[in-house]
Amino acid sequence: MRLSAANLTWRAAGRAIVEDVSLEVRSGEFLALVGPNGSGKSTLIAMLAGLKRPHGGAVALDDRPLAALPRREAARLLALVEQQAETGERLTARQAVELGRTPHLGALVPWSGRDEAIVREALEAVDMALLTDRMWHSLSGGERQRLHIARALAQEPKVLILDEPTNHLDVEHQLGLLALVRRRGGTVLAALHDLNHAAMFADRIAVMQAGRLVALGTPADVLTPDLVAAVFKVRASIETGPDHRPFIRYAPPAPAPAETPAW
Amino acid sequence: MSRPGLPAARVLGLAAAALVLLLAALVFGAAVGETRIPFDTVAKAVANRLWAGGHALDPIDEGIVWNYRLSRAVVASACGAALAVSGAVLQSLLRNPLADPYLLGISAGASSGAVAVAILGLGGGLLSLPLGALTGALLAFGLVSGLAVLAGRGLAAIILAGVAGSQLFNALTAFVVTKSATADQARGIMFWLLGNLSGVRWPDAGLAVPVALVGLAVCLVHARTLDAFAFGTASAAALGIPVRRVRAVLIGATALMTAVMVSIVGSIGFVGLVIPHAARLVVGVRHGALLPASALIGALFMIAADVLSRTLLPGQVLPIGVMTALVGAPAFALILIHRPVVGGMGAR
Amino acid sequence: MTLPRRASLLGLLAVVLAAGSAVAAPTQYPLSLENCGRTLTFAKAPERAVSIGQSTTEILYLLGLADKVAGTAVWVGPVLPGYEEANAKVKRLADNDPSFESVVAERPDLVTTQFEWQVGPQGVVATPEQFAELGIPVYTSPADCENKNNAVGSDGTRTAKFTMDLVYTEITDLARIFDVADRGAELVADLKAREAAAKARIAGLRPGTSAVFWFSSAELDIDPYVAGQSGAPGTIMSLLGVRNVIDSQEEWPTVGWETIARANPTVIVVGRMDRRRYPADDVSVKLDFLKTDPVTSLMPAVRQGRIVEMDAQAMNPTIRTVEGIEGLADALQKAGLAQ
Repeated sequence: MRLSAANLTWRAAGRAIVEDVSLEVRSGEFLALVGPNGSGKSTLIAMLAGLKRPHGGAVALDDRPLAALPRREAARLLALVEQQAETGERLTARQAVELGRTPHLGALVPWSGRDEAIVREALEAVDMALLTDRMWHSLSGGERQRLHIARALAQEPKVLILDEPTNHLDVEHQLGLLALVRRRGGTVLAALHDLNHAAMFADRIAVMQAGRLVALGTPADVLTPDLVAAVFKVRASIETGPDHRPFIRYAPPAPAPAETPAW
Repeated sequence: MSRPGLPAARVLGLAAAALVLLLAALVFGAAVGETRIPFDTVAKAVANRLWAGGHALDPIDEGIVWNYRLSRAVVASACGAALAVSGAVLQSLLRNPLADPYLLGISAGASSGAVAVAILGLGGGLLSLPLGALTGALLAFGLVSGLAVLAGRGLAAIILAGVAGSQLFNALTAFVVTKSATADQARGIMFWLLGNLSGVRWPDAGLAVPVALVGLAVCLVHARTLDAFAFGTASAAALGIPVRRVRAVLIGATALMTAVMVSIVGSIGFVGLVIPHAARLVVGVRHGALLPASALIGALFMIAADVLSRTLLPGQVLPIGVMTALVGAPAFALILIHRPVVGGMGAR
Repeated sequence: MTLPRRASLLGLLAVVLAAGSAVAAPTQYPLSLENCGRTLTFAKAPERAVSIGQSTTEILYLLGLADKVAGTAVWVGPVLPGYEEANAKVKRLADNDPSFESVVAERPDLVTTQFEWQVGPQGVVATPEQFAELGIPVYTSPADCENKNNAVGSDGTRTAKFTMDLVYTEITDLARIFDVADRGAELVADLKAREAAAKARIAGLRPGTSAVFWFSSAELDIDPYVAGQSGAPGTIMSLLGVRNVIDSQEEWPTVGWETIARANPTVIVVGRMDRRRYPADDVSVKLDFLKTDPVTSLMPAVRQGRIVEMDAQAMNPTIRTVEGIEGLADALQKAGLAQ
């Protein structure tokens, strides 16, 4: 399933947070969204997931406008893993994942063995099958993040949107998770902090800067020293790994030029 | 613990057990009162009325059991169930463990309405105290909702609007009482505001029971929807919940339920706040189990509180609101201590 | 009028009055008097009294002092029959609580108050000290301060039963203050005679006769305010040998209808009043409730029509309490409960 954005704009307090962004996540593609903090990634993702109604432009799943889809139907096609969603409820790990089945259940569609199996698979996929009865509040940040991803998987979405999903994870689980998402297939849009992760797993990379889309293409095309310097304000050299994907080696920061504040 | 795949037979069994418990509590409520009526008289009185038992009884005893005590226990249970379910729903919906049915200015509005009728004579005798309270409660809720809509869509907006609305209506009440009430009037209002079940009769049950049942049904239909609010509104939306519509329906339903109950029995505190937490300790957080459990515990608690309020001090009836607070506040403290994590607003 | 002349005139008047009834001695000024824990002193009989409280005001009228009353307040019903004209000439400062300044504006040389609620340590009008600062003495009805703690309970709590003697003390005190002691003695004697006559009429009261006094209810169906043991109805009942089915020592406790119905009082006394604060203030609403409520309608007192209407003033510790004694005695007699 294809996820496309046409001329998306979002404003807050008269300032454009996202301005005129058009992009398409192709069916089965892993698209990484990168950009410095405050570049509008999360807002763009909220609009793409249908959580924020754009002030301009439109989102479509294949050719159906997202705004016209009932929320329940949209949730069966598209799942979102937010940054740091928390709860004070005394949920177990399994219950947190079971919530993923919500859009598939209804008054006349009760919980079934199939739902049970899907939840089990999702828990296994994120390596949490042994902790299913643990209370949410007793889990580490990384474990919680894996459960969020398992919940999104349990939604059986055609399109998976992840907002910085690896934030709380250790290196093993960061790589494991991205590999899992990649392996699972389907259409994926993931906002990522680590450019090397984007380079390793994404088919294409979209680069945001100050609310605008400034580059979109394969990792090799997009990740150039000039772009990294212009957008991320760091000096880097780009190498090509054995898998023909670029690898970014950062240089220690030089003293900032006088006219450019550090932030 | 209600796993989503609880077998239907067990659900039926639990429902039957709950019903038996509730009926036992109602009979208990009818058996205990200011005066002593032997239990077999109580049983015969109920039998006479329910299936024409034909037992020869003092008609006054029978009347007291049936018309005063049983109607009162039925209203108490409906009211306890409605308040507890409202509290459970609002706590989940607003993601605030301190949310209770009075958060939305309903209690404050009811007080103002009651005071306006009783002291200012608003409505020219056409409005009774309960009707005035209902009008005030709905007015306050309307104002709070309007304010919340104007202030924005967030949860904070609803809670802050509720606080602002409550303060406004409490100030109005204080203003009217200070300006024009005599001590006697103030006492009458206080008496009523603290909750009073003594004037309850079958016609009240005819209003309270259907409202509680319909309210419970509306909330139960949304049980899974409420589960999906565990990680916040964005997460609920991502799980396919039409957040604003659901919020409007459920807040409206709880507000109506609460307003009707407040108009019948006055504002009885702590039930809506404490009972849901107690129910969570027993059955967990899934609303499919939490809502019925809250309703049942709320109903039982209210019947017990009413019986205690009538019997604790011989020859004197404590306002039931005092009773629920006396029991509820320490219970709440215990629950807080036993709860490993305090909070529900989410970490961020 | 200069002071010596007036004093001599009053002295003359006292002599004349004393000669008329020859019951009580004329007042010697300066008069010193104990009242509710305060000592009041009067250099002469007051000329301009402000009277707060209907009963106190009516006592002044009965003592023939209407022309000395400069203002009144706190009225619960129509004035005592026969005093309508006199009362119409007296300025009414307020139907309920008057303001401090409206009282002071009358330049009173005495303030009489029926309740400490209005003038007392926490008085809503003022404290006696505030009046004392202006040189105005305050006389408080003994019925509201003797054996009564107004700091406890919303209506205050009586530490001992109200008795008619408290009203007689008030009459006697006021008569001394205004130097109409003989008139006071006459009034007390008259009231005591009415009391005795009522009692005599039902001397043959059937043993075990009991009653409940229903004043009003905050809500129609709710637990009603009924008379406890220590207030005026308690006095009325014990004087007539009628048992109060309500045991409470409070003046107006709320008691459930369940308790009342099962206590099966011989007679139900319902309060009649002009007040319309609660629906049940209306006596017809009370009667209607008794006849339609599923339980009270079964009570023998209701079925056999033994319901007595009584003026609410007679149910409170006032000069009218005597009317209550007479009213209940009449009703018991009519109901054939006394031979």
